[in-house]
Amino acid sequence: MADKIEVSGFRHFFRTEIGSVQATGTIDLSIKAGEFVTLVGPSGCGKTTLLKAIAGFLTPSEGNILCDGIPVRGPGRERGVVFQELAILPWRTVRRNIGHGLEIARVPKAEREATVARLIGLMGLGGFEDRYPHELSGGMRQRVAVARTWAADPEVILMDEPFAAVDAMTRLTLQEELGRLCAATRKTVFFITHSVDEAVFLADRVLVMTRRPGTIKAELEIPRSASGGRDWDSFTSDPLMQKIAGDVMHLVHAERV
Amino acid sequence: MTTLERIGTVTIARTFKTLLPFAVLIAVWWGIKTGADVPDKLLVAPPAVWASFTGLVSHGILAEYASASLRLIGTAAIISFVIGVPLGFAVGTNRYAARALEGTLRFLQGISGIAWLPLAILWFGFSQTTTLTIVIYTLIVPIIFNTMTGVRAIPENYALALQSLGAGRLRIVRDVYLPGALPSIIVGVRLGMGYGWRALIASEMLVRQGGLGDLIFGARTFGQIDRIMVGMVVIGTLYIVVDRLLVQPVETLTVARWGVLRR
Repeated sequence: MADKIEVSGFRHFFRTEIGSVQATGTIDLSIKAGEFVTLVGPSGCGKTTLLKAIAGFLTPSEGNILCDGIPVRGPGRERGVVFQELAILPWRTVRRNIGHGLEIARVPKAEREATVARLIGLMGLGGFEDRYPHELSGGMRQRVAVARTWAADPEVILMDEPFAAVDAMTRLTLQEELGRLCAATRKTVFFITHSVDEAVFLADRVLVMTRRPGTIKAELEIPRSASGGRDWDSFTSDPLMQKIAGDVMHLVHAERV
Repeated sequence: MTTLERIGTVTIARTFKTLLPFAVLIAVWWGIKTGADVPDKLLVAPPAVWASFTGLVSHGILAEYASASLRLIGTAAIISFVIGVPLGFAVGTNRYAARALEGTLRFLQGISGIAWLPLAILWFGFSQTTTLTIVIYTLIVPIIFNTMTGVRAIPENYALALQSLGAGRLRIVRDVYLPGALPSIIVGVRLGMGYGWRALIASEMLVRQGGLGDLIFGARTFGQIDRIMVGMVVIGTLYIVVDRLLVQPVETLTVARWGVLRR
């Protein structure tokens, strides 16, 4: 399969009042179409900087980023982003938040409503269509954020620690739901996290980053069951998965600051 | 109890809570008047004020003065809103402009509208234009200032997320910046109306070209305490009415429903 995302020779510096600060080391990576890649690394290693560059929110100091062979020159609807928090609009109901991308793309109303209804079903948001975000729990709000990105049907989805701000119990459910959603839609996903279990649980391939200025130090393929589905029960009882998670943990632990 | 009855009971209870302090205020006033036997040329009792009120209403005098004030504050509010909100946006979306103008706006907030009266009178004479200028100045500064801070307080992610959904600049202004800044704009209008109403009355007292300020200042010349007090009560009441009728419904329909109300 062709590479959907190609990052080559990426390096980034931030200019501050005391001079320039190196945010990342040199990073090369490629993501195939339909692949779920997670990136795990210590906080401050530059994972978010890399994601922002792929999203087009910042221009790399060095290197190139290609999406379908075309250089990234800013944000675009073929690259959807799910943020950690504070990204769905408080003044729109669940329904109108999820349908926002389709509204922007001028998709006819009937078609838009069908897509929104399908995602509301998939994400377990039934009955909350006309609620405002402040009336929802943190977990529900993240479901809306995920559904909004999926509804717009981007080719690549970039997720920046999307479940970091929800409680641990809800997080498990959200991860399983995301797994099912991905198995059903075969999207190319680039997912950033600092949780080793989350990274291994969700991924087709895990990338491990060093501490700042971060580079990619290791890469592990994760074998998938034929169904491609993921659930925590079988994950925790599968010795192979536990071994991989242990290996990744060692790799990450060596980078502690 | 049916739901309707319950709503009725709640409304009555709320009205009672709002009106009770006023009743206490009137009682204290009346008590001082009769208890200390204050002469009529210094303070009159509530019934005298009421009599004066009905007299002013029946002769249409009150309506004329009050409508002059209301028309002026209305005109000033519309002009200030139409100019102040876009200006606040322009400044708020430009980081450098915002930093550069913040000091100036604070400085201007320190110079009350009334402090401009001597200049305004020299420029426009004892006219409605003078009062209008003073009131617009008083109203527009908090509107610009609050619109600006409102725009700057919107989380960056809102706009970034929309860009990733394919939104253009105009779309982001419409879907993110306008509703995002609305809570602050409402605060600005609210503050502005409060300051503006006070400045209006003060300016009317000096300019003497109609309005409630003119009414109470004119009454002073003839020692008509009752009329002065009617004017004061009307000034306070009209302010509450304007706030409840104009600002609160907007707030209830928008920011309160979105859960982003700022107080």
